[in-house]
Amino acid sequence: MPPLRTYRAEALVLKSVPLGEADLLVTMFGREAGKLRAVAKGARRSTAKLVGHLEPLTVTRLALSRGRSLDVINQAETLDNFTPLKTNLTAVTRGLQVAELVDGFGSEASPNEPLYQLSLSTLAAIGHAPEDELPLLYFQLHLLAASGLMPQLFNCVECRREIEPDRHRYSADGGGVFCPDCTPDRAGLRPLSLRALKVLRLLARSHAAELPSLRLDPTLTQELKAILTGTVQYWLDKEIRTNSFLNHLAREETRRQIPR
Amino acid sequence: MTLEHLPSAAPSLARLIQELNKLPGIGPKSAQRLAYFIIRLPEEEANDLANAITAVKQSIMFCGQCQNLTDSSPCSICASSQRNREQICVVEEPLDVLALERTHCYRGLYHVLHGVLSPLNGVGPDQIKLRELFARLSDGAVKEVVIATNPTLEGEATAMYISRHLAGSIVNVTHLARGLPVGGSLEYTDELTLSRAFQGRQAVE
Repeated sequence: MPPLRTYRAEALVLKSVPLGEADLLVTMFGREAGKLRAVAKGARRSTAKLVGHLEPLTVTRLALSRGRSLDVINQAETLDNFTPLKTNLTAVTRGLQVAELVDGFGSEASPNEPLYQLSLSTLAAIGHAPEDELPLLYFQLHLLAASGLMPQLFNCVECRREIEPDRHRYSADGGGVFCPDCTPDRAGLRPLSLRALKVLRLLARSHAAELPSLRLDPTLTQELKAILTGTVQYWLDKEIRTNSFLNHLAREETRRQIPR
Repeated sequence: MTLEHLPSAAPSLARLIQELNKLPGIGPKSAQRLAYFIIRLPEEEANDLANAITAVKQSIMFCGQCQNLTDSSPCSICASSQRNREQICVVEEPLDVLALERTHCYRGLYHVLHGVLSPLNGVGPDQIKLRELFARLSDGAVKEVVIATNPTLEGEATAMYISRHLAGSIVNVTHLARGLPVGGSLEYTDELTLSRAFQGRQAVE
């Protein structure tokens, strides 16, 4: 039986780019459809009915028609637009990083419900605590897990022995933690503090709802950011674009806090 | 589309099609149609088109104050003594200035950013004309900055960045009202637009 000409989908809008005179090409990550791209005809006109429901970082319920090359969005209805997140510049940028990474790791016609749920819960968590770095760190680690790329945190990658408190090393391309006895001649091995390893293990075992109880100092946060961003970037195989603006905002914030 | 794909076209025609094909929104078929239209134009009109393209490339520059595209700096708006110099309206693109001028309800100056902050596309504050805006505001002559970026996620992020940068200064930062478009429909309006329309409701005159 040929596939139906029309179908419904629930999706998180990741990004949209202008197409032709007044159309939008929208990239989304669907709960059941995986990554999908579709056209919203006339969405850039001021009286367009669709455009408000297709802004990036909006969960929307869609009715679509199959097209020859791209599907066409006929109807859209907002389910959640993460309003608290969109009132804070740092939170918006972190949310856009979630969208960038889901776009990078998601595949078309390849559903990934854990990744979909993770994205939504992370956006909600960022909205509730815009200044907290933890939701994005949690997202990065669980993004790797949902993509089958979770780094090894409990046993040495090389000898498989259980990791004891010691001076460990970590390698993104090596696949996780190495014990002090196994330090292969590998570029990219970096020291991993015991505190950072413990937090990574805790994050790996946690659910998103448990996050607010954890408070990290700036040094530990920087170490975790370097490890997780490095690992995500290694698998993404390109620079995370939103990082440069996040770093810019962090530098400005630091300057603001230093009394003149 | 490359020249090799047009073996039967004269080289000069193939080149014209190739150049037209580079324009935004113009595909190979449209490029061919436009090229054949240009061929059928009287020579004088075709020359006018070519001269207009050459002239615009030679004479258009950024206004030293508002960064709008102009053929003299300062531009006619910045040079006008009729404009309110205490107000600057910040817009994304030169076409936004034309849209606002058509309303005849704003008599202040403008500042054109030539883009918006777009972290997903690697566009940060240094890639758009933000530094020039903050430099214009440094002498304290401007009392109000009206942010008129588009009500999109990136437009709002740019507005938040400007507002954050000017926090604590004497400049009053405002932005255009958000709400329902004329001819729009409540039934199809998203929740964010509706809630902002409610927040900005006004007494019926």
